[in-house]
Amino acid sequence: MPQGDYIERHRKLHGYRHDHFERKRKKEAREVHKRSAMAQKALGIKGKLFAKKRYAEKALMKKTLAMHEESSSRRKVDDDVHEGAVPAYLLDRDTTTRAKVLSNTIKQKRKEKAGKWEVPLPKVRPVAEDEMFKVIRTGKRKTKQWKRMVTKATFVGPSFTRKPPKYERFIRPSGLRFNKAHVTHPELKCTFNLEIIGVKKNPNGSMYTSLGVLTKGTIIEVNVSELGLVTPAGKVVWGKYAQVTNNPENDGCVNGVLLV
Amino acid sequence: MVQYNFKKITVVPNATDFINIILSRTQRQTPTVVHKGYAISRLRQFYMRKVKYTQQNFHDKLSTIIEEFPRLDDIHPFYGDLLHVLYNKDHYKLALGAINTARNQIGKVAKDYVKLLKYGDSLYRCKSLKVAALGRMCTLVKKLSGSLAYLEQIRQHMARLPSIDPNTRTLLICGYPNVGKSSFMNKITRADVDVQPYAFTTKSLFVGHTDYKYLRYQVIDTPGILDRPFEDRNIIEMCSITALAHLRSAVLFFLDISGSCGYSIAQQAALFHSIKSLFMNKPLMIVCNKTDLQPLEGLSEGDMKLVMEMKAEAMKTVIGQGGEATDDEGVLLTMSTLTEDGVMAVKNAACGRLLNQRVEIKMKSKKINDCLNRFHVAIPKPRDQKERPSCIPQAVLEARAQQAAEKEKRKTERDLEDENGGAGVYSASLKKNYILANEEWKEDILPEILDGHNVADFIDPDILMRLEELEREEGMHQVEDDEDFEMDGKDLTPEEQEALAAIRKKKSMLIQQHRVKKSTAESRPTVPRKFDKSREFTAKRMGRQLSSLGLDPSLAIERARSRSRGRKRERSPERGDAMDVDTDESNKKLRLRSRSRSRSMSRPPTEFVPGAGFKDSEQKVKAIKLAKKSVKKRNKNARRGEADRVIPTLKPKHLFSGKRSIGKTDRR
Repeated sequence: MPQGDYIERHRKLHGYRHDHFERKRKKEAREVHKRSAMAQKALGIKGKLFAKKRYAEKALMKKTLAMHEESSSRRKVDDDVHEGAVPAYLLDRDTTTRAKVLSNTIKQKRKEKAGKWEVPLPKVRPVAEDEMFKVIRTGKRKTKQWKRMVTKATFVGPSFTRKPPKYERFIRPSGLRFNKAHVTHPELKCTFNLEIIGVKKNPNGSMYTSLGVLTKGTIIEVNVSELGLVTPAGKVVWGKYAQVTNNPENDGCVNGVLLV
Repeated sequence: MVQYNFKKITVVPNATDFINIILSRTQRQTPTVVHKGYAISRLRQFYMRKVKYTQQNFHDKLSTIIEEFPRLDDIHPFYGDLLHVLYNKDHYKLALGAINTARNQIGKVAKDYVKLLKYGDSLYRCKSLKVAALGRMCTLVKKLSGSLAYLEQIRQHMARLPSIDPNTRTLLICGYPNVGKSSFMNKITRADVDVQPYAFTTKSLFVGHTDYKYLRYQVIDTPGILDRPFEDRNIIEMCSITALAHLRSAVLFFLDISGSCGYSIAQQAALFHSIKSLFMNKPLMIVCNKTDLQPLEGLSEGDMKLVMEMKAEAMKTVIGQGGEATDDEGVLLTMSTLTEDGVMAVKNAACGRLLNQRVEIKMKSKKINDCLNRFHVAIPKPRDQKERPSCIPQAVLEARAQQAAEKEKRKTERDLEDENGGAGVYSASLKKNYILANEEWKEDILPEILDGHNVADFIDPDILMRLEELEREEGMHQVEDDEDFEMDGKDLTPEEQEALAAIRKKKSMLIQQHRVKKSTAESRPTVPRKFDKSREFTAKRMGRQLSSLGLDPSLAIERARSRSRGRKRERSPERGDAMDVDTDESNKKLRLRSRSRSRSMSRPPTEFVPGAGFKDSEQKVKAIKLAKKSVKKRNKNARRGEADRVIPTLKPKHLFSGKRSIGKTDRR
């Protein structure tokens, strides 16, 4: 009675069909044509996906082919240039480098005075008020329109309690409140899921900063204690600034870049 | 008895395929068209549906995977251990656990994003949220790719595991590699296990079945075990150890006394003693194989001593089961699978011992009380010494004797054939059982062609009967005419008799006419009198009839003629004369038909004539019916033939004129 290894056993006892290898070879040869027919006939989303996959395959193939051909051709090799090496005719000119450094510090000081910081996203699209708020009609005849509901993601903090509903002008719905952000360290290139401590500045205005609205470009403070950073003095760093790099209301999550 | 069969597990797709399947299903099965201008609730619902649908599908597929893979703690410990040995329980559980976690996380993702979608106020926002949700779910599944690949491999291997029933009667064959376990297996079962000269040919458990005393026994062939400490054993050896440990079976420990397997008897004995703890409570048998190379008696002293030690151990198991201490026949056996000497004896001994042990255990258990009352043979106690044999009536005995005699009495054709020389020599006379009027006609030869005609065409078994019938019919016609005068008993004057005859004749004529009319009514068209083809209704006929009644017809004829001949007077002058002749034609036709029956037309049309193209009379009748049916409709519509498509009036008045009582007259 056939056991678990019946396929191998049959092969051992009876060998292959007399035309097995020829058929296999021919079938594999036909695969090329079949694939091309499929690529030409496939419509819609299937066709697009297939085309994308095929494009990636072809790019890879081209690269490997180029790599194999590399060894046959010869190329010029540049000598490594020393850092700070200077050609002979400039040997006694060294003042320029210092000047650059000086002007950099001057620029930084000017920026500090102006209140501009070096951030990954210096400019963001301004968000209009009617995009930010939705007008809520209240009252018996629904004629009062002084309430606003925030339509963007917000951060409210753990000790937040609402004002009495009758008096609260800005409604921040709980479904749009976020406590955690996915923050990327720009040098380590890895992302951590860190708690938000607070909203430092929203580029669209101080009102939004006080409301805690998270839009693209907002500077937030995140809890980095799990990264284990230490100051040169020996103190543990537990809060750092990060900038929001996406539209949290469209993606359902807050992504940011750590400001080192 | 649960059959352990892991073939029913569905294929586990790999991660990318899995994602593709689910996403393409979402794309196909949910609505795809949405526009910016739709109501916001409709947009939200559209995208929420997609998110939920995807989540549901992921949940379903992952759940089937989790449920179909067996839980190692819920199955028989033999299979649990076997799967642990083969696949490592921890890895297995981790993989399934990862899938479970992914399933829950996907659920959470879907829930969160559906909550967010409720705040979506534009198509773009809802769409981005949906994209984010599906992307998150797919990323979770992508992380599962390792587990899914591992589970697929396991599934493929599990499907090929032998289906061993851990509770039924089993014989387990164990021993060193190359001692002849697989050859023995091939001999007693139909399993076709690979037998090769190198060690570890058998790499996993193999199952075969054999019968003994109408019961089915499972025989399990195990890979060879080497004598090593337990921790050093590899997976293959562990399979056999697992089988030994968990299956309640009879164990056949194979010993190669010739040493051709490469291991001495001392080594094999050492192995025996190291695994003898696994033989607890199992009927153990030592089988010495390869006796064709080295008989048991020719062993050296030391080897013999080792063998006897093993036998002593085996005897302990016999005693432990409460068997007689002196029964040592079934403990040490010799055989040779090459010469097949002693193979069956070994099998029978092993099966017998196992059966006895199982029966004993059953008898001791509590369940036996339920069964015992099912098979109780009641023997009545004899109350006196009188003999009471079974009583058979005399008639039955006689009938039996008669039947027995009859069976030999009747001589069959076969017996005749055998007597007269066999099949090729004797040809049976087929004509000897013919039933004929004269016995001498049996051997006559029948001619086939006579005077240029086929005799078969003229053969009719009922020919005499038909002749009689025909003569009777014809006779009747003649008799009928004469009968009129003999019918009444009263005396009539000759004129009265004449008148009576005339009246009767006319009556019968009318009746016959009516009958003809009625029989052809189905296929005769009903046409108004002005189209009468048979030319019955003529002015001359009217005149004759009126004059026979004693009236003067001339006025009536003139009136009729003036009406009918109103316009077409010039064209048809001769019609009147032509009409006269026809009146008698109908009679002529009837007479012709009755007199013109000759012998050659003595067959009724539905009678079967061989060679005419029909199989039997039924088919002929059917053909005639079909022919008539096809003609009927045309005749009814007074068409001259197939091609007659004349429409007498293209615009009949009743369709093209008149007001409607209700409705409009837009269309005519």
